[in-house]
Formats: sequence, structure tokens, C-alpha cells
Amino acid sequence: MDHTSPLEKLIRAALLAIVIIFFMFPIAWIVLMSFQTNESILRIPPSLIFTPTIENYVALITGEMRTAAGSLKLDFMRNLWNSVLLSSASVAVSLLLGVPAAYAFARFKFRLGEDIAFTLLSFRFAPPLLVLLPLSLYFKTLGLTNTYIGLIWVYQLICLPLILWIVRGYFEDLSPDIEHAHRIAGYNWFQTFWKIAIPLALPGIAAAGLLAFIFAWNNFVFALVLASADKQPVTVGALAFVTASGIQYGQIAAAIIFSIIPTFVLAMFAQRYLVEGLSLGAVKG
Amino acid sequence: MAELVISNVDKIYRPRRKKPVHAVKDLNLSVNSGEIVALLGSSGCGKTSTLRMIAGFEDVSNGSITLDGKAIHTLPPSKRGVAMAFEAYSLYPPLTIGDNIAFALKSSSLPTVEQQTRVKAMAEMLDIGGILNRYPSSVSGGQQQRASLGRALVRDAGLYLLDEPMGQLEPQLRAILRGRIKAYLRQHNCTTILVTHDQTEANALADRIAVMEGGILQQYATPADLKARPANLFTGTFVGEPPMNVFPAEVTATTKSVAFRIGERTSLTYPRSDFSSEVVQALSSIKKLAIGIRPYALHVGKGPIAGQVVACQWLGDQTHVAIEVEGRTVVSVAHERIKEKPGSSLALEVSASDLHLFDAENGNAIAHGGQLA
Amino acid sequence: MNQLAIRSLSKSFGAFKVFEGLNLAADSGEIVVIFGGSGTGKTILLRMIAGVEEPTSGHVEIAGENATDVAPEHRGIGMAFQNFALFPHMSASENIAAPLRAARAAEAEVESGVSRVARLLKIDHVLGHTPRELSNGQKQRTALARALAAEPKILLLDDPLRNVDAKLRFEMRLELPRLLRQSGATVLYVTQDYKEAMALADRIAVLSGGKFVQVAAPEDIYMAPATLTVAKLFGDPSINMVETTVRTAGKSATVDILGESVEIPASYAAYAGRKVAFCVRPEAVSLAHKSDGLHCEVQAVTPLNERVVLLLKSTGGWEFLSSLPSSAAIPTTGEKLRASFASKGTHLFDLETGERLDG
Repeated sequence: MDHTSPLEKLIRAALLAIVIIFFMFPIAWIVLMSFQTNESILRIPPSLIFTPTIENYVALITGEMRTAAGSLKLDFMRNLWNSVLLSSASVAVSLLLGVPAAYAFARFKFRLGEDIAFTLLSFRFAPPLLVLLPLSLYFKTLGLTNTYIGLIWVYQLICLPLILWIVRGYFEDLSPDIEHAHRIAGYNWFQTFWKIAIPLALPGIAAAGLLAFIFAWNNFVFALVLASADKQPVTVGALAFVTASGIQYGQIAAAIIFSIIPTFVLAMFAQRYLVEGLSLGAVKG
Repeated sequence: MAELVISNVDKIYRPRRKKPVHAVKDLNLSVNSGEIVALLGSSGCGKTSTLRMIAGFEDVSNGSITLDGKAIHTLPPSKRGVAMAFEAYSLYPPLTIGDNIAFALKSSSLPTVEQQTRVKAMAEMLDIGGILNRYPSSVSGGQQQRASLGRALVRDAGLYLLDEPMGQLEPQLRAILRGRIKAYLRQHNCTTILVTHDQTEANALADRIAVMEGGILQQYATPADLKARPANLFTGTFVGEPPMNVFPAEVTATTKSVAFRIGERTSLTYPRSDFSSEVVQALSSIKKLAIGIRPYALHVGKGPIAGQVVACQWLGDQTHVAIEVEGRTVVSVAHERIKEKPGSSLALEVSASDLHLFDAENGNAIAHGGQLA
Repeated sequence: MNQLAIRSLSKSFGAFKVFEGLNLAADSGEIVVIFGGSGTGKTILLRMIAGVEEPTSGHVEIAGENATDVAPEHRGIGMAFQNFALFPHMSASENIAAPLRAARAAEAEVESGVSRVARLLKIDHVLGHTPRELSNGQKQRTALARALAAEPKILLLDDPLRNVDAKLRFEMRLELPRLLRQSGATVLYVTQDYKEAMALADRIAVLSGGKFVQVAAPEDIYMAPATLTVAKLFGDPSINMVETTVRTAGKSATVDILGESVEIPASYAAYAGRKVAFCVRPEAVSLAHKSDGLHCEVQAVTPLNERVVLLLKSTGGWEFLSSLPSSAAIPTTGEKLRASFASKGTHLFDLETGERLDG
């Protein structure tokens, strides 16, 4: 029963290869595009043979975009910085608010508790545009349009429910007896929360934080409506490559590579954490 | 009804990217027609692998299994003529308890009336006559386990395999059900193998017990023999509740006496005539000796094992006494009530016929009660 | 003085009443075992005493003071949990040190405290291990050590031997009384193993059907169970029972066991006509080939440790058990004998109320 025939191995390998090609093709294609000029990209028929160029990357870093119609200023590096700032600040705020809230929802039964938790989750159901129209009016009145604070605030709609629900699940999985034991050993509830609940749920908190970061990073429509050029993240900034003289495919590809890198690095780093999180069960007994 | 023979059976698991696990090593075991045999051991000892190989859920890596002279280890489970009760019950959720028990009978050639009487009698025996119309999910774990047992026993099979059949039973019912099931297996001359980690269950039901550890059959004997003549230190200490007291000992034999020193101040001395000359001979060549004494063989008396009472616990029908002898705890059990205050002095005695002598280096038994093992 | 008392304590979840109006007081240094089957609320009761669960009504008194408003960390309690509840991210020694550190003990005191209880529980060699690296027995000992470390006045032990194997459970059962006495604490010990209860308790409180049905010394519980439920819960094999009616013939009293009359002590004559549960402990059943006693036939012989349990059936079809020392003469399956019942192990309970009838 534990033997596999050569044919089985072959079929397994072939199927795996198909899956890998299917998922990796767009990414590989974009990597290739980022090293080509617009002309070679738009060549017909397309070809895998080209002279690689780093022109696209240079353009992004220097902020000087040369098109057929002449040179154009663009501030992609600024967009990248905005993305980093908005996403990390939003996740930080969400963790600060969401983790204690998640603990409360997991451990204490209070009136309307379930309803509040569900309401928070329901923010994720509505199409963002529906919320945005009234929101943009309010933001104008409050002077929050085109401010980092305003954007971070709106980003809570993305991050907070996610963190709340994932971390709550982790807290619920922890045996309350461990916390009781700590209380009885002579510590107050805050010490127990800080020394027992948080460290034990850390893998879950990390996973939730990572997911929230990725969702915030990939957000488009909030920033499109509520921010102008100097506060825009990469997702919106990429629109600048659609110029009057055509679409700068090479530079878009390079920009995509740039914007994938932070989330990619984070995911690689957190992978270990996530695996640790999965083995949490072994700790419980 | 049939005879089962397991010859030179090995089971080796080869998990991917991990070391192979040799779960059962060169197992030889025969079960006579109508005999009840228990495979006893702690988890990971190979007993469940053995059962699964007999049932056909697991391939045999080496060796053969025959039932009534016919090799069955290559047959699919359904062709082996084996009935099995599972530890996890494995009742069919959409069927009532009654239909679950009757399930295997439905495909048999028995007339419907006969099927119904059988199911009813089985349910009566297992005290689940009142829940035949209920569904598994609505009854307790103990009742599910009894139903699962009923489903296996109601069939006509050459061999009955019971995997931890009574682990979840209600404590108040356990003793009486053991009695009924044993009577039933006897009456119907069922050849039965039960797998259990609970020696109480094995002792109560089995004609012979196969003690397994580390994939190796340690001893295969009747319950009485396992207690009186353990083959090695492992079975000696594993079988018997409370466990056997074991002391490292030094032996001195003179023409008149044999003395076992088990501590600075404690020594057991017996007339030489209590031991056969072969035993005395064998003892002379042993470097490290271990003495085993069952708690029931230690009686309150004049000594020579003396110390302070650690605990004296009366359990209604027996008293457990623990005394500390030169830093070691010695346990004695009596059927009558003994009242001793913790801290008081107490002396225990044991007759030569209750001594078990082991070679401490390889664990093998040397002598039981003065006769060679 | 009562170190610990619970006063008309009740707990319900919605309409479901776990228990109602529990009263119990434990003296300083006393070991009280709370015994009951699963789902009787034993664990909830302990948690209430520890202060991590709120009672629906009633209160807990510690050293004579109402402890309702005292937070768990200020109750001076040590507790060991059934699932050990060790802090998984701390070493064994950090686990044990936790209560000492909470009390802001000096580092030297913490160290000496940890090594004291570790030696007592024979785990000094695994202090550096994390809970994951400990065997079940070591986990259980670490949990006990943690509960004992700060020398609490009250010790709550929630079925601490439940999750260790039989051999270890037996060893700990012998070891625990001395350990608990040494600590000097008032101990509340929860278990569903009647042997553990009898071995460890000064008094046993039997929790059943949401109330304490009997609170008494182990001897009284076993020899004079207050109700049929208590009689059934103590003893292995469980007590034999048959429903019948008390009859009188002259001065003597009898019960009818499915068509056969059996004499019972004459003192029961006062209950003539009463519907009763006639109960007899398996070890009180003696068997012989003689001219009197209940006719019965041996159905099966099942050894139980150093005893042998016989399943017997009377002529009228009453199935009952007899438990004999294995050194006694053991009848064989199919043998026909007469059974008699020692008065010491024979009990009558009112069939309607379940209460014991004194004979």
C-alpha cells in the first residue's frame, strides 16, 4: 500500500507541473516584461528572445519616465513609500484595537457581544464604493480628505474585521484553564492577558496581521477616491503609466515587481510563523 | 468455528521520508477453536497492527495468517469470514441501533424472523433492548459501544475481533457485561481475539493472554500462569494490579539456607530446602539478581521487610498498605481491612513460594517459588 | 475553624440547573473529596471556589470571610487541573515559580521554593524542560508542584490523576496523602474514581443530581450508603440490586427474589409491605453446597485482579455477582450452588425515595 508504481509517479509529476505552470505563468511573464522595452513587448508575434534592459527600473527609481512623446515626471517611489506607511500603520492600529477586542469577544460573554462582532465583520460584505460616496463628503467636511490619518482610519474597515475574527478564533482555541491557572497563581487579568494569552496566540496574531497587511496593500478604491497623487499607494499610482502616448507596459511590469516584493518578503518570513501556529495544538495539553 | 494460526508475521511501516517502523516482529501465535485470546499491551506495542492484519485492513509485510488451515492474509477483508467490533464504534449514523446490529445479518440467508430474534436477544444481553429504535447520535458512548459489540457478535463468523470492546462502558455495568459476554462466547464456541490495554478486561475474559511490547510477543499464557510464572521482568511488572514489587538483590547460599539481601538492613532468609538444587545452581552464576514479590504475597507479620507506613488505604473490599523500606516503597495488599496510622512501624513477610527471581541484566525469569522458570 | 466553606451555592446555565444549594465546610488541614460522575458539576464547583467562575447564587467563605468580591489572585489558593494547564511557553521550573514570583518573592526564595517542591515531587531532573518535553506523569507532577509552590492555605485538585496511566495513578495515590498532609493545606479533591476517593479522603462529599447526597467518612459511605445512588457508585464490581417487597413471617423478615424467599435480618420487619431495592455487595455473597440459601447457577467466571468475580443466575432469573478472593475455592461455570448474603454488606433502600432503610 505504501508502494507507488512508476506510472503513478509520472502522472503525479505531470499534474503538478501543469498546476505550477498555470499559477506561475503570469508572474514569470511579468518578470520578463519588466526587462523589456515597450517596443519589444508589443512585438507581433511575441518572442522570448530579447535584449534585457533595466531601463524600466531606472525610470521608476529616478522618477523620470521617457515615452515616445517625451519625458514625463512620475513619483513612483513616493507611491511605494505611501503604501508601506499606510499598510503598516493601519495594521498596527488594527492590532492595537483588534487583539484586545478579539480577546474580549472570545473570553467574556456580554450583552450584544455576538451582534457587535458580526456587525464588525459585515463591513466586509458591502461593496466599498457604496460606503465611499457618503464617506468622501464627510471627509471633506472634517478635513480628512487626502490625509494619512484619514486613509488609515478608512483602512480599518479592511484590517480590523480580519484581525478580530482570526485572532478571536485563536483565543477561543486556547484552554481557559491555562489562564485560570495563571490567575490563581496570583496574577491579575491584565498580567494574564499579557503574559499568557498574547504569547500563546502570537502565531495567530502574526498570521492575521500579515493577511491584513496584504489586504491593505492591495487596496485600490479607497485611496483612489480619498487621496490625491502625493498620498496615493502603488495600486493607484500605477495608473500614471497609462499616458496620453500609450500604456507603458515595461514600467508597469517593473512597478508590479517592486510592489510585490514587500508582501512577498513578509510572506516568506511569516511562513515559518504560520507553520508554528499550526502546531499550537501540541502545546495545549 | 475455526483455528487461527499466525506464523512469522512482520509488519513494517514505511512512511515517506521517515524511518521505517517495525511494528510487529516475527509474531507466532495460534488461537484454538472456541478460544478467547487477549492481545494485551500499552499503546504502540503492536497489538492493534496485529488485529488489523488479521482483519485485512493492513498488509502483512512477512509471514502468513491462516484460518482453519486456509491462508487468509492475501484475501480482502470481506472474504475472510471475520467479524469485528471497532474501538471507535463505527456505527452507521443513518441507521437505528437495531438496524446497525442487524446490518450484517441482512445479507445472510437467515429468515427474517430468525434475524429479528437474534438481534433482540443480543440487545437484551447488552442491555440496549430499550434503544433499538434510536439513532447512534442520540445515545451515550457506552451504549454505542455496546451496539457496536452487538453488531459484531450477532453474526456467524469464523473469528471475532474485538478492539478495546469495553473501554467506554459504564463502570456499574462493566462487571456484569463481562460475565454475560464471556458466557455468550463460551456457549456459542466463538473463537475470539480481543485487543486491550486494560489487563482487568483481558484477565476477566481471556483463556490466554498474549502480552506484547515493542512489537514483540513477550509471553503467551493463561491469566493465572502470567501471574504465577512471568517469563521476564516486563510481564512480571506489567501484569498484576497493583504492580509487582521489584528489588535488586544479592544472594548468598549456604548448605542450610538461601539469603537475599535487598538493602543495608533488610535480608530475606529461607531454608535451602525451599529451593530446588537447580535454582541454587542457576543463582550462583547470576551477576545481578532482581526479586519480584506480588503485593498480595506480602502479609503483615513479623518481618523481615520492615519500615514505616506511608499509606494505608482501605477500598471497601481490600486494603493497600505502602511502607517505606530503606528509601524504597513496598506495597502490600490484603483482602481484609487493615488500620495502620501513617508513620507507624510495620513488618511484612513473604514465603519462598511467592518469590520471583529474575536475571536483572536481561530481564529473564530464573525461578518462580523455588522452582526453575 | 472552617478554612473553607460554601454556603447555599447554586449554578445554572439558563434553565439548566447544574447544582442547587450546596453547603459544605472543610476544617483546616482536612482532605475532602468531592465525588461524582461526569457532568455533575464538580469542576464548576472548584472553579467557583477558585473565583474564576461566578455562582448563580450563594457564596464561598475563606477563613470565615465572604470571598465573593475577592479576585482569584487574592484568594490564597493553589489549584491543579485535570488537563494540567501548564504554561506551554515556560519551562517546568518557570511554571512552578509563577506563584512565587506573583508574590514578589526574592530570587533566592523563588529558587529554593522551586527546588523544594520539585524534590518533593521527584521532578528536579526535568525542571529545564518545557511542558511539551515532559511525559504525562511529569506534567501532572509539575502541575501539582505549581499548585503547592506558594504554600497555599487551600488546595483545589481537579481530578489530577485522570490523565495519567494506571500504574502512575496507583503510585500517586499512595504518595499523595503524605504530600498533602505535609503541605498542611485544606484540600478539596475532585474525582470520579471511588477508589481514589476512599483512599485519600477524610470525608467524601458525594455529588449527584445537583446536590450532596451524602457527606461522610469513607467507611460510612461504603458500609452505610445513604441512598441507592451512593451504594451503586462505590464498589467494583458494583452492588447487586433487585426490586422486591419486605415480608414478615412471625418474627423473621424475608424478601422475595423473583419467586424465591430469602431471609433478611429480623430488624427489617418494621418495613413489612414496603417496596424496596434489595442490595448486596458482591464480596458479601458467599456460595456453598448447602441446604439453605438462594438457588443459583454459575454463568461465567471472570477474574478481577486478585479476586474472582462470578456471574450467577437465580432460579427466578436474577443475575447477580459474587466476588471472592482468588485463594478461595472457585466454583466452575455451570455449577449449581446456594448463595447467602452477609448482613454487613446487605442494604435495603426505599424504592420510591432511594433512601436507605436502617435494619
